[in-house]
Amino acid sequence: MGKDIREDIAWAQINNDVLKSLENPRKLYWVILFAAMLVFSVGVGCEIYQYNVGLGAANMDNPHMWGLYIATFIFWIGMSHSGTLLSAILHLMHADWRKPIYRFAEAMTTFSLMTAGLFVMVHLGRLWQFYYAVPYPSERWTWPNFQSPLLWDAMAIFTYLSSSVIFLYIGSIPDFAIARDNIHPGWRKKLYSILALGWEGTDRQWRNFRVTYLTVACFLIPLAVSVHSIVASDFAMSQQPGWHVTSFPPYFVAGALYSGCAAIITLFIILRYVFKFEEYMTLPILKKTVRLTFAIAMVWTYLNCIEFTATWYSHDQVAKDVLIQKATGPYAPFFWGMIFCGSVVPFAMMVKKWQTSIPVMFAVSLLLNVGMWLERWMIVAPTYSHGYYPWTWDHNQWPSLIQWGIVFGSFGWFTLLFMVFCKIVPSVSMYEVKEMVYHRSLAKKKEELGLEGGH
Amino acid sequence: MIENGFDETTSHSAKPQSEGQAAGYNRRDFLKTLGWGGTAVALSGCGNTSIENGKETVVSYVEPTDYQIPSIGVYYNSTCAQCDAGCNIMGRVREGRVLKLEGNPNSPVNRGKLCGLGQAGVQAHYNPDRVRQPLLKGEAITWDKALGLIAEKLNGVKGEEVAFLTGTMSGHVRALLGNYMDALGSKNHFVYEAVSPAVERAANKKMYGVSMPRYRIDKAKVVLSFGADFLGAWISPVNFSQQYAQFRKGSRPEGRGVLVQIEPKMSLTGANADRWIAARPGTEGMLALALINALGTAGLSIPTDVTAVVKDYTPERVSLDTGVSFEQINRLAKLLKERSPSLILAGGAAEGYAHGTQNAMAIALLNHVLGNVGKTVEAAAGVPFPQIAPIPGSRSALTALGNGLASGKYKVVFTYGANPVYSAPAVSKFSENFSKAGFKVAFAQYLDETALAADLVLPLDSAMEEWATEVPEYMAAPEGNVGYAQLSVRQPLMGRLYPDTRGAGDILLALLKQRKADEYKGFEDFYAYLQSAIMKNKAALGGADCADDKFWNDTLGSAILPLKGVAGSISAKPAIAGFALPAPVTADASYPLRLIPSISHSMRDGRNANEPWLQESPDPMTTIVWDSWVEIHPKTAAQLGIREGDIVEVTSKSGSIKSQAYLFPGIHPDAVSVPMGYGHQAMGRYAKGVGANVFAMLDPVYDKETGELAYHETSVKISKTGERIIIVKEEGPARGSQVGRKKIAVKVSADKVDLSKEV
Amino acid sequence: MSVSNLLQNWSTFRHEHPINDKPHAEIKWAMTIDLDTCIGCNACSVACYAENNLPVVGKEKYAHGQSMHWIRIERYWGETEVKEEYDPNSNFDMVQQDFQADQGAQFLPMLCQQCEAAPCETVCPVGATNHTEDGLNSQIYNRCIGSRYCSANCPFKVRYFNWWNYPEQENAWPEPLPLQLNPDLTVRTKGVMEKCTFCKQRTYTARNNARSEGRPVHDGDVQTACQQSCPTNAISFGNLVDPEARVAKQWEQQQVDLAKEKQEKDEKADNKLRGYRILEELRPYPSIMYLERVRESAV
Ligand SMILES: Nc1nc2c(c(=O)[nH]1)N[C@H]1C(S)=C(S)[C@@H](COP(=O)(O)OP(=O)(O)OC[C@H]3O[C@@H](n4cnc5c(=O)[nH]c(N)nc54)[C@H](O)[C@@H]3O)O[C@H]1N2
Ligand SMILES: Nc1nc2c(c(=O)[nH]1)N[C@H]1C(S)=C(S)[C@@H](COP(=O)(O)OP(=O)(O)OC[C@H]3O[C@@H](n4cnc5c(=O)[nH]c(N)nc54)[C@H](O)[C@@H]3O)O[C@H]1N2
Ligand code: SF4
Ligand code: SF4
Ligand code: SF4
Ligand code: SF4
Ligand code: SF4
Repeated sequence: MGKDIREDIAWAQINNDVLKSLENPRKLYWVILFAAMLVFSVGVGCEIYQYNVGLGAANMDNPHMWGLYIATFIFWIGMSHSGTLLSAILHLMHADWRKPIYRFAEAMTTFSLMTAGLFVMVHLGRLWQFYYAVPYPSERWTWPNFQSPLLWDAMAIFTYLSSSVIFLYIGSIPDFAIARDNIHPGWRKKLYSILALGWEGTDRQWRNFRVTYLTVACFLIPLAVSVHSIVASDFAMSQQPGWHVTSFPPYFVAGALYSGCAAIITLFIILRYVFKFEEYMTLPILKKTVRLTFAIAMVWTYLNCIEFTATWYSHDQVAKDVLIQKATGPYAPFFWGMIFCGSVVPFAMMVKKWQTSIPVMFAVSLLLNVGMWLERWMIVAPTYSHGYYPWTWDHNQWPSLIQWGIVFGSFGWFTLLFMVFCKIVPSVSMYEVKEMVYHRSLAKKKEELGLEGGH
Repeated sequence: MIENGFDETTSHSAKPQSEGQAAGYNRRDFLKTLGWGGTAVALSGCGNTSIENGKETVVSYVEPTDYQIPSIGVYYNSTCAQCDAGCNIMGRVREGRVLKLEGNPNSPVNRGKLCGLGQAGVQAHYNPDRVRQPLLKGEAITWDKALGLIAEKLNGVKGEEVAFLTGTMSGHVRALLGNYMDALGSKNHFVYEAVSPAVERAANKKMYGVSMPRYRIDKAKVVLSFGADFLGAWISPVNFSQQYAQFRKGSRPEGRGVLVQIEPKMSLTGANADRWIAARPGTEGMLALALINALGTAGLSIPTDVTAVVKDYTPERVSLDTGVSFEQINRLAKLLKERSPSLILAGGAAEGYAHGTQNAMAIALLNHVLGNVGKTVEAAAGVPFPQIAPIPGSRSALTALGNGLASGKYKVVFTYGANPVYSAPAVSKFSENFSKAGFKVAFAQYLDETALAADLVLPLDSAMEEWATEVPEYMAAPEGNVGYAQLSVRQPLMGRLYPDTRGAGDILLALLKQRKADEYKGFEDFYAYLQSAIMKNKAALGGADCADDKFWNDTLGSAILPLKGVAGSISAKPAIAGFALPAPVTADASYPLRLIPSISHSMRDGRNANEPWLQESPDPMTTIVWDSWVEIHPKTAAQLGIREGDIVEVTSKSGSIKSQAYLFPGIHPDAVSVPMGYGHQAMGRYAKGVGANVFAMLDPVYDKETGELAYHETSVKISKTGERIIIVKEEGPARGSQVGRKKIAVKVSADKVDLSKEV
Repeated sequence: MSVSNLLQNWSTFRHEHPINDKPHAEIKWAMTIDLDTCIGCNACSVACYAENNLPVVGKEKYAHGQSMHWIRIERYWGETEVKEEYDPNSNFDMVQQDFQADQGAQFLPMLCQQCEAAPCETVCPVGATNHTEDGLNSQIYNRCIGSRYCSANCPFKVRYFNWWNYPEQENAWPEPLPLQLNPDLTVRTKGVMEKCTFCKQRTYTARNNARSEGRPVHDGDVQTACQQSCPTNAISFGNLVDPEARVAKQWEQQQVDLAKEKQEKDEKADNKLRGYRILEELRPYPSIMYLERVRESAV
C-alpha cells in the first residue's frame, strides 16, 4: 500500500503543488480537453438536428415516450450526490480523509447537475417553450401545475444546483485567497481577488466561515436526499407498473450515492495522474472511498432485492409482468448487465489488494458507472414496452443514433466543464489539506512525546 | 330507425342549411359562384398557414359572397362515387371548399352513415396526383386539340370498330353514353367491374326471378351467410351495416339476431359472426343442400322436387366433403328451423368457382325451403326509365373486349371508370391486346395503369366537381315503402380545382356534338342537359304540382329524387331442373393450397388506392397498413416453417407474387389469402409500389354459366424467400390477446345477459 | 400577483376528485360504445382523420409506432382459455395457435376515455392537459411543452405525440390536400401532444348555439365525428347529466356509476348487464362505457 499524506509536507509546497495544477497545462490536459470538445460537439450536432426535425429523430414512439434522455438525466442527477455526501456528510462527521478530494467531488456535483439539466431540455418536445414550467407571474394567471412531480423535480434540481454552487464557492474562498496571493500578476490574479472576497484569514473571518460552511452543509444534506427522492417521485407517483414502487425514493438515493462514489473513484484516479496529485490523493484515501462505495453498493443491492421480492410476492400481476419481461425479454442483457455491474462487480472491492490497485479500481469504478446507467435505463424503458394495455405492447424499440449521440455528447460536456474548472479553481483544497497535515503532525508529535491519543 | 340523425344540418329543400342559423340562399347563385365562376374561389380557401403567411386570399367580411360566410359551414347533398352502392352524402363546405363528407340522414341507402372509403372521397378530390390537363402521349394539350384528335381518329371508322369500356354505369351519363354509342353506330359498350356480383345476379334471376332483390337482414332472426361480406365490401355495405345494427338489437321484436358465416377466409362479416365456419373452399353449395336434408330430417316439409335434388347430399357425406362436422350441420338446421324467418346469403366466397352459379343457386334454394322468400328476400322495385337504369358490370365483359382487341378489331377504344390493365389476370394478356387498338382514349382522374397505356388521356372532374345522376343497383327503400326507387344526384360541392378538368357528362356531350351537332346544340353543357332531362319528366318524378324553379331547387337540395318504382315480383318457384354440384376437387400436389384473393373493405378493387387515409387505415382483421400480405393458417405455416414477417413467394400456374406472411387463425388451413387492390405500378404517390397485385396471378378459370372469372379457382404453392421483415401493423406483440387482463374486450354468451330492455 | 391570487387560481384550476366536486352542473359529456354492434370497419377512425386534421404519417413512421390515430380499432381473438400463467415476453410469434376464430374476432375502438380523475392531468408540469367543466380532459396545444409525462401515465396509451413536423417538414398534406383541413381547429406541429377531444369544436358549437337560443343542449344537438359516421350506430355520445340523453339512459340502465370503480355488475355473479369500463380498477373514472360483445352459444 502506498503512503498516506506526509505529515511533514511543507505548507508552501502544498500551495506550490496545487497552484501548479492551475498553470501550464500538460499535453495530456489538452488532449483530454479537445477530445471532450469533440464529443460534446457530436452531441450538439445531434441536438441541432433533433431540434429542427422534431423528436422523432430520437426514434421514440408511442408507447415509448421516454428513453435514454430521461435515463441519462437520472444518471447525472445521481452522480451529483457524491459531492454532497463526501463533502457535507463527512464534514459533519469530521472524517479527515475527505479533505483532499472533496473539492473536485463538489465540482462534480455542480457539473453533473448542469449536465442533467441539459437532458431535461433535450427531452422536451418544444424546448423553446421550456419556461412554461417556471412559476412566473403572468397576466393570464397561468401557473405551472404544482401537482406534477416533474415540476417538483425542476424546482428541486434548481435549488440543489444553486445550493451546491454556493457550497462549492464558500468552501473555496480561502483557497482563492491563496491563489490571489501566490499567482503571477495577470487576469487570473484579478479574478482571484474578486473571488476571494477580501479574505485575509482573520480570526473573525475564520469563525464566520466555519459557521456558514457548516450551516450550508447541514442544509445540503436533506436537500440531496430530497432531490433524488423527488426524481423518484416522477416514477413512484405515476400509476405505471414497474414505476409505482413504494421503495423508489430510498432506492434512488442509494443508487445516486452509489454512482456518485463510483464516479469519485474514477475522477480521483484521473486527477491524481493528470495533475500529479499523488502526494495528496493518497492510496489510503482511495481505500476509504472504495470501502464506502462497497457499503453503498450493498445497500443498493439490498434495495433491489426488496423491490423485486415485493413485486414478486405482491398480487400485482401487471407489475410482475414488467419485472419478468425485464429479466427475460429483449431488455434482459441490459437488466442482467445492470445486476452484474451493480451487484457482482463491487465484490472486487472486497479484495484488500485491489482496494488500492489503481488499474483495478479504475476498471471497477467504470463498470459500476455503466451498471448504474443501465439501472436508470431499466427503470425508464421497460415499463413503456409492457404497460397496462396489452394492445400497445411493443418490444422492438431501440434508440436512434441521434439519441445515443446526445447521451455520448453529455460526457463530453461534463468533461469539458470539469477540465476548465480544474484550471480555474484549485481542485484540491489547500487550506484543508494543511489542516489535515497539521492535525497529523500534532498527533505524531504527541506520539513521539509518549502522550495518549491524538485528534 | 335512424338514431342520432343529424337533422338540423340536413338539406330537405333547396336551402342549404348553415351550421348556425339557417340562412336562405338561392341555390342557383351558389352554383354560379362555385360551379362555374368558382375556380379562384375554391383556391382561395385557407391552407393551414394561409393567414399567417398572407399568401392567400382571406374571405372578406365586408363584401361577403353568398354561401361563403366566414367560419360558417354549409352542407350540400350529393352522391358518393367511391363504390357502386351509391350512398347519399352531404359535403360540408366552408369558404368555398369542401371539408368533410358525411352521410345524408334522409337517404334510405345509408341513413346518415358513411363508410371510411366514402369519406375518403375528399382525398380523391384534393388528391395531389390528379391529371390536370388533357395529355397526348404524356404531353399536355388543349381540349380543342384533344377533341379534334378524337374526331379525326373516328373519321371513317366503322361503328363496330369502336369500343367503349366503362365501369358500372347508370343515370344520365349512362343515357348520354348510350346516345353516343348509337351515334357512332356501335354496340360495343363493355361494362366491366373487377369485383362484381355477376354470378349472384345470374343465380338470383334463376332462383328468385329478380337479379338484385332486397335483403332484409333487419327482419331476420338468423342470417346464414355463405361468404357474403355484407358488413365489409358486399354490394351495399353501409346499408347492410345499418340493417345489421337493427338485427343485433335485443329489444327488437324478433330478439337479437344470430349470424353464422361460412367462408374459407374470415371477412369482416365473419369476424362479427356468432359462429364462423371454414368449410372446404368450393363446397358451400353442398353444405346448403345438406342443410336442406337435415331440415327435412328435423321435420320441416320439403317440396318433393327439392327432395329429389338434395337427396344425395346427406349430412354424413357432406360432412366429409366440407370438413364441417355432422353435429354442426344438425345444430345449424335446428337453429334455422326454430328461428324463422331467417335469411340465407350467397356472396363472393361461395361464387368464385367454376360451379359458382350452382353454388349460389343451392344456397338460394335454402331460402325457398325455409320460406324466407318474400319475407327476408323482397323484390326491389325497378327504375321506370330504362335508359338511366344501371348497367351492372361484370368480368365477362372484359373477356369479350379482350377477345376483340386480340383480333385487332378495334380502331378506337375509350375507357372510363375502369382500370383493366391493372386488374386483368396476366394470362389474359390484356395490356398486350390493348396496345393493339389503334387509338386509345382514357377518361381518367389519375394516371393509372390504363391511362398510362392510352394514347390520349382526358382529365376528369372529381366527384366533388361534376354533375351526374346515379341509380343504385341495390335499391334500398324506406321502411314500409316496398315500391320505392330513387335517382340520386351528384353535384359540384365546390368549384373546379383545376380549370381543365371536365365531367364525364361534359366530355360525352362534346363528343356527341361532333356527331349530332343539331340535336345537342341547345345544351351549353352537361348541367343544361341534365336539368332539361329531369325537368322534362317533372311530372313522372313527382313534381307535377310544383313550380319549375322550386322543383329544381328541391331536387338539388335533397339530391334524392324518389321514383315510383316498377313493382318487381319475386318468384316462389325456383328453377332447379337439371341442377347438380360437382364433387370437391382434390388438390394438385404441386399447387396444394387454394388462393383466396380477398376484398378489403377499404381497398376493394384498388381504384381508391391513392387515397392516403385508406392506405393508413389498418385492415380490420390483420391491422396491416401500407402493404399487402399473405394470410396463412398457423398450422400450415408451422408445417412450412413460415413465421410472421417472412417474405414468401406465392406461385400459381399463371404467375406469382412476393409478400409478407401473416399468421391468421381465421383461414382454412388449406387456403392462403392475399388482398386485392395493392401492387399498383402507377396511379400516384400513395398507391404506386405499395404491396403486390394478386389479380395478375389468377388462373383463367371461369364460371360455367356466366363466364365470370372464378376468383377462388387458383391453386398455389408457397415458398420462403429467406427474407424476413417486421410487419407494419397496428397490433403489437400481444397480437390481440388480452394476456392476463380479462377486462378489456369482454365477450358474454347471449343467455347470460338481458338484452330485451336495452336502450 | 399575490400569493392569495395564486392560491385562489390554483384551487379553481385544479378540481378535486369527481366524487367530492360538482363540476358538472350542466353538462358531463360521456360515451357508450356497443361492442356487440361495432363491426370493426374503421369508418370512425377515418372520420376522425377528416374532422380533426390528423396527419397520415406513412409506412416508415407507422412502423416506428408514430401513427396519429386518435381512435384505433383493436382486434381481439378468442383464446382457448384465458391463461393465468403466460409468458409475457415471448415475442408472441407463434402463440396464435391458441387463438380461436370460430366465434369470429372482436373489435374494440379505443380512444381517450376522458377520465374524470385523469392520470394524465395530474402529472403535466404545465397544466396543458386539463379538466373542463363539461367533464372533458382537454388538451391545450399551445401550452404543451412536450414532456410526454401525460402519455407515460395514461393507462390506455391513447395520447399521440407529434414526433415530427407533419404539416411543414414532413409534407403530410401535399398541395392541394391542405384545402381539406378543418379550419375549426389547428394543425399541430412538432413537439406537441394530442389526443381525442370528443370533437371539442362540435360540442363547443352546440353549446354556443344552445346558449344563443337560450336553451339547454338537447340530446342529438351534437354528434362526434366518429359517432356520426359509424354505420352501425355503435357509438352514442351525449350529456350524462341530461336524463333524456341516450347515453344517460344507457349508463343508468347498465347501472354504471361514473364515480365508482366497481359496479353492480362486478359485485354480483348472475347479473344480466353488460356495461363496463376498461381498467376501471385503476380509478381513472373513465367517461366511456363499453357494452360487452354478445355471442350466441346455440350454434
Ligand atoms: N408511490 C408511493 N410511494 C410511497 C407511498 C405512496 O403513497 N406512494 N407511501 C409511502 C408509505 S407511507 C409507506 S408505508 C410505504 C409502503 O410501502 P409498501 O409496503 O411497499 O406498500 P404497498 O405498495 O402498499 O405494498 C407492497 C406490495 O404488497 C402487496 N401485498 C398486499 N397484500 C399482500 C399479502 O398479503 N402478501 C404479500 N406478499 N403481498 C401483499 C401489494 O400488492 C403491493 O404490491 O410506501 C411509501 N412510498
Ligand atoms: N387502501 C389503502 N389504504 C391505505 C394504505 C394502502 O396501502 N392501501 N396505506 C396506508 C398507509 S401505510 C399510510 S401511511 C396512510 C397514509 O395516509 P395519509 O396520512 O392520509 O396520507 P396522505 O394521503 O399522504 O395525506 C396526508 C395529507 O397531509 C397533507 N400534508 C402534506 N404535508 C403536510 C404538512 O406539512 N402539514 C400538514 N398539516 N399537512 C400536510 C397532504 O396534503 C395530505 O392531504 O394510508 C394508509 N391507507
Ligand atoms: S358504401 Fe360505397 S357508396 Fe357507400 S359510402 Fe361507402 S364507398 Fe360510398
Ligand atoms: S384516457 Fe388517458 S389521455 Fe384520456 S383522460 Fe384518461 S389518462 Fe388522460
Ligand atoms: S406532453 Fe404536453 S400535455 Fe403532456 S405532460 Fe408534457 S406538457 Fe403536459
Ligand atoms: S370523439 Fe371526435 S376526436 Fe374523439 S375519436 Fe371521435 S372523432 Fe376523434
Ligand atoms: S365506425 Fe362504428 S362499427 Fe365501425 S369500427 Fe367504428 S365504432 Fe365500430
